[in-house]
Amino acid sequence: MKRNFNVVNKSVRKIDSLSLATGKPMYVGDFKPADALIVKMLWSPHAHARIVSIDTSAAEQLPGVHAILHHGNVPRIVHTTAGQGFPEPSPYDTFMFDHKVRHVGDRVAAVAAETAEQAMAAVKAIKVVYEELPAVLSIEAALTPGAPVIHDEPEAHVPIPVPYEPQRNLAARVAMEVGDFEAGLKEADHALDLEYYTDYAQHCPIEPHVAMAHLAADGRVVITTSTQVPFHVRRIVAQTLDIPVRRIRVIKPRIGGGFGVKQEVLLEDVVALFALRTGRCVFWKYTREEEFVSSRTRHPEKMRVRTGVKKDGTITAMGLDCITNTGAYGSHALTVVCNSGSKILPLYRAANIHFVGESCYTNLPVGGAYRGYGATQSSFAVDCTMDELAELLGVDSLEFRRRNAITSGETSPVFRALGEGKAGVEQSIGSCELDRCITLGARAIGWRKRGRWQDKTGRFRRGIGMAALMQGSSIPEIDMGAASLKINDDGSFNLLMGATDLGTGSDTVLAQIAAETLGCDMDKIIVYSSDTDMTPFDVGAYASSTTYLSGMAVKNVAEKVAKQMLEVASAMLECKAREIRLENNRAVRRDGKSVGFGEIALRALYGTDQHQIGAVSSRISHKSPPPFSAHFAEVEVDTETGRVKVLRYVAAVDCGTAINPKLAEGQTEGGVLNGISYALTEQYLFSPKGKMLNAGFSHYKIFSMRDKPAITTILVPSYEKTGPYGAKSVSEICINGPLPAIANAIYNAVGVRMRTSPFTSEKVWRALQDKAG
Amino acid sequence: MNITLTLNGKRRTADIHPNAKLSDVLRQLGCASVKMGCNEGACGSCAVSVNGRVINSCLAYAAQADGGTVETVESIGSLDHPHPIQAALVEEGAVQCGFCMPGMIMAAKALFDKNPSPTDAELAIHLDGQLCRCTGYEKIQSALRRVAAHGAPVPSPGSSTKGGRS
Amino acid sequence: MKITAYHRPETLDKARSLLRDLGPAGIPLAGATSHAFMKGDDEKTAVDLAALGIDTITATPQGFAIGAMARIADLQAFAAPGWVLDRVALRFVSQPMRNMTTLGGNLARVFPWNDFPVALLALDATLDIAGDTVTTHPAATFFKGQPARLFKPGDLLTAIHVPAVGPGCGFGYHKETVVNMDFSLFTAAAWVRRDKRSLAEVRIAVGAGVPLPQRLIALEDALTGKAFSRDTVRAAVIAHAEAVSWKGGDGFSADYIRQLALTHLEDALHAAWNDAAGGAV
Repeated sequence: MKRNFNVVNKSVRKIDSLSLATGKPMYVGDFKPADALIVKMLWSPHAHARIVSIDTSAAEQLPGVHAILHHGNVPRIVHTTAGQGFPEPSPYDTFMFDHKVRHVGDRVAAVAAETAEQAMAAVKAIKVVYEELPAVLSIEAALTPGAPVIHDEPEAHVPIPVPYEPQRNLAARVAMEVGDFEAGLKEADHALDLEYYTDYAQHCPIEPHVAMAHLAADGRVVITTSTQVPFHVRRIVAQTLDIPVRRIRVIKPRIGGGFGVKQEVLLEDVVALFALRTGRCVFWKYTREEEFVSSRTRHPEKMRVRTGVKKDGTITAMGLDCITNTGAYGSHALTVVCNSGSKILPLYRAANIHFVGESCYTNLPVGGAYRGYGATQSSFAVDCTMDELAELLGVDSLEFRRRNAITSGETSPVFRALGEGKAGVEQSIGSCELDRCITLGARAIGWRKRGRWQDKTGRFRRGIGMAALMQGSSIPEIDMGAASLKINDDGSFNLLMGATDLGTGSDTVLAQIAAETLGCDMDKIIVYSSDTDMTPFDVGAYASSTTYLSGMAVKNVAEKVAKQMLEVASAMLECKAREIRLENNRAVRRDGKSVGFGEIALRALYGTDQHQIGAVSSRISHKSPPPFSAHFAEVEVDTETGRVKVLRYVAAVDCGTAINPKLAEGQTEGGVLNGISYALTEQYLFSPKGKMLNAGFSHYKIFSMRDKPAITTILVPSYEKTGPYGAKSVSEICINGPLPAIANAIYNAVGVRMRTSPFTSEKVWRALQDKAG
Repeated sequence: MNITLTLNGKRRTADIHPNAKLSDVLRQLGCASVKMGCNEGACGSCAVSVNGRVINSCLAYAAQADGGTVETVESIGSLDHPHPIQAALVEEGAVQCGFCMPGMIMAAKALFDKNPSPTDAELAIHLDGQLCRCTGYEKIQSALRRVAAHGAPVPSPGSSTKGGRS
Repeated sequence: MKITAYHRPETLDKARSLLRDLGPAGIPLAGATSHAFMKGDDEKTAVDLAALGIDTITATPQGFAIGAMARIADLQAFAAPGWVLDRVALRFVSQPMRNMTTLGGNLARVFPWNDFPVALLALDATLDIAGDTVTTHPAATFFKGQPARLFKPGDLLTAIHVPAVGPGCGFGYHKETVVNMDFSLFTAAAWVRRDKRSLAEVRIAVGAGVPLPQRLIALEDALTGKAFSRDTVRAAVIAHAEAVSWKGGDGFSADYIRQLALTHLEDALHAAWNDAAGGAV
């Protein structure tokens, strides 16, 4: 669909980028007053234990110590740390501090002191007697009948009616069936039953979690925090501390990366309570080790894929059984595993579909939201299975995917069956250029020249693999975005949004949408996000919602403001409003006579019929239009060492209209590289007692520029009618490709199927040894 | 102990503990651009130039810089007059969350000061201590290629292309 | 460890006498990069060696003299016929760490994964310890155990002498890591002197996967004087690498490290052979 835009679909400069590149103070840590108290936490050294006693008397006497928090002196209010809409689909299984610890790195007691050294000294001086309990350190152990119960507290419950059985360590369960799955299997000419496993991973924002709180002159608590969800922080802190929402203000400055891990309320309750108790400004920043152990992770997931296919390529049955390990708390337990089904199963047509998603508690680090959100895990399982099905049929896996992939105008029963903690929302696919993504990506990587692994020789063997992907754009009929907009004397506008730019550039993208709608230049839009006292509500930056949903709210509010401006202009230009266009910062009458936005503002603010031109608007969505993508990886496998090197990577993505193409490419490239190291090198190593052994960048391996392959992004335009100027989401989908594309490429190179991630060199070497027999 | 530094061209003194890390002292002296990402020398966010070498200031003792010359991003370009490296990063959309940028820019500038036209391989070697989790380094690389070519955009195997119908 | 006092003496004598007087309370400060890994609360007085002027690389008749305070980045940037440590430097951690770390600091206290001891063993370097007099130690002796055993209070490592890799000789260096900026999983260095089609002289050293970097003398002996061929090298490596007790770590098994050893020992020998022929670097 052709559209002529002035500001949208242009790679305008990211509005905060030069300030960031010149090192201006913009992050939470940059606003820390010199006299702020510093928080240090005593973390559990045990995977599972009861706190028999806790003695803080010696610690309290140490110099500089102002307050200590532990389960004996804070409100005992059960809640979830998951920063989700209310009521949350995650179980209420967390206390600010508890008399039981459930993983190494769980909270025991917090100290606020004048300096970090004094706080650490006090942490070391707290005497705790633990009664160690048997620890549950795997999915299998968690679900064994008679396993130790991790959440035996009577308060644990779910705030919405969904299955929850903590007495058998089951944090969540969801199931659906379409057609007759078993019959579908019987109907098939070929059937496959395969198991896949993805392991722990961490988001690794370069800025770890950080939060600060102080009391305003009126006694309210002001929390400045690196969060993706300022409004959920306000609500959950109010709940946890049992104080009114009105007493809390949450400010989100620039964020040093999030990727989902900052969709969680992890520090704010502690700094807020310390501020209330001490009256001082209180600052807490996680160390990198704490970021790995005591924040959130990608849920490890065991997946079983059962499929059947007819000789003509028709998929007769698609079954997916998933179990995630949510760790010690059920943060995002239900919704992540729901997404393993709902975001992936609609991609390939099947008459009979079976899905069961479960999540179990263990005494290991806690799962959470992580870019891709369950779809990353199941994309691996499903797309590798597609590769194997194609091989069984003896057809090109690319053509097999193309034949079975959903297209524009189609629907999937999965959309209706699977929502987030409730039934889903039926939708048919509007924009979809997956087919073209496949064509262009295949051409860019040289798909046709990839050959068969059977014909490859030598120590270093190359292979090409692909994956087809979909995600969503916002959670339909659950998420809400809002914005307010007002004009200033000079024809500039304040755009206030609850939407949370966590480094993605959403402030810029949303300003482009406003500028396009208003007919003004980008520099006329002054963006402020987000501050719960100032900006309208927004659920926050997650579920691929910002461009699509908050973007619609911005477009809508800009339309309202434009209408008000036209009314003023019509009086000034002495014509009907519909005879006026807003363009180039002016209101232009048909004959070319015009008034500038500044003149309109001055008249409205100081002249006749004085009023503030301004509006507020909010939007929800009844759809979650999927972006689509085809990913291609070329790898080289060293058959002596098993080392896999990604040589080239191509991501062709249909995100609708790219509001800012360069930023959309940047989202894709960042997600892809994160996905590549997740596939190859990132892993959690644990001691036999459940302690993470590699909690630092020296031993948890993410890529530098020297490790990266060349990544080519191909933006394939489509036009999503329900989105702002045709836009869909782009940020999450791109992380889902590398696991399946690389696994399929390894197969194409050396003929081994990698079904357990990460594909470390030793795992690939062992697979090669096994294959050689 | 007292130390004296030439920090971003100005003589500064500070009363420090001998155990104080340079990164902490620089932040106390007002250099908010010195970011702390790992405190073990593995992420490069705290990279600053000391006597012409770019180092991880979280590992260095402030005392080691006594009498020396220290430069942070605060001295490299401004909003009105950005350094060509900063301008290129901004134009290429290479600044996402921005937390790694001060260290990245210090490391890049140190390379360009010695070698105005580095190859891709040289860029990768000299920036291998600067972790970024947002960009996949693709746009950072293309920005620095532009600087290497004195502002002229150069095609590359990893550059982005626009495909499809419009 | 906590630094409670700091000195930066300007002469070697002053540094030595300070450290001698301080005894266990003193710690020489070279690049400081390993201090982050020294846990505990013990208090130390740092004696910074940065002002001693022992940070240059100079050509000598036999090869090169490297001041102990030369940075890894200086080794990376140095170029001269017969100089090969730039290859080792390029694989060392990351640029800011190469800019900070000193060669002396990297050698004075040896960790299993240290890079430079492996190269210096293969190159048959010597190391100078300044005590009351300067004593010179072959790398093979210096790295036989923790070098600390060779130092009396106040003694300092001041210089490293590396022979040039001369005509007919070659050097191969292979380091396996998971990502570039990483601790070694296995490091192999090989130096060979070539006589037509034969290996006239061979030195081979390994690091990581073994408790401390070491020469593989039995393998060297098995190859010395042999005609070079893929099969000869492979057979010797397999026979002698079996005898080493490899250890795993960082998520990798001992079996796998052994496999890396087999592969990289061969690779390093081939690289050294090609290098000696004026071939691939």
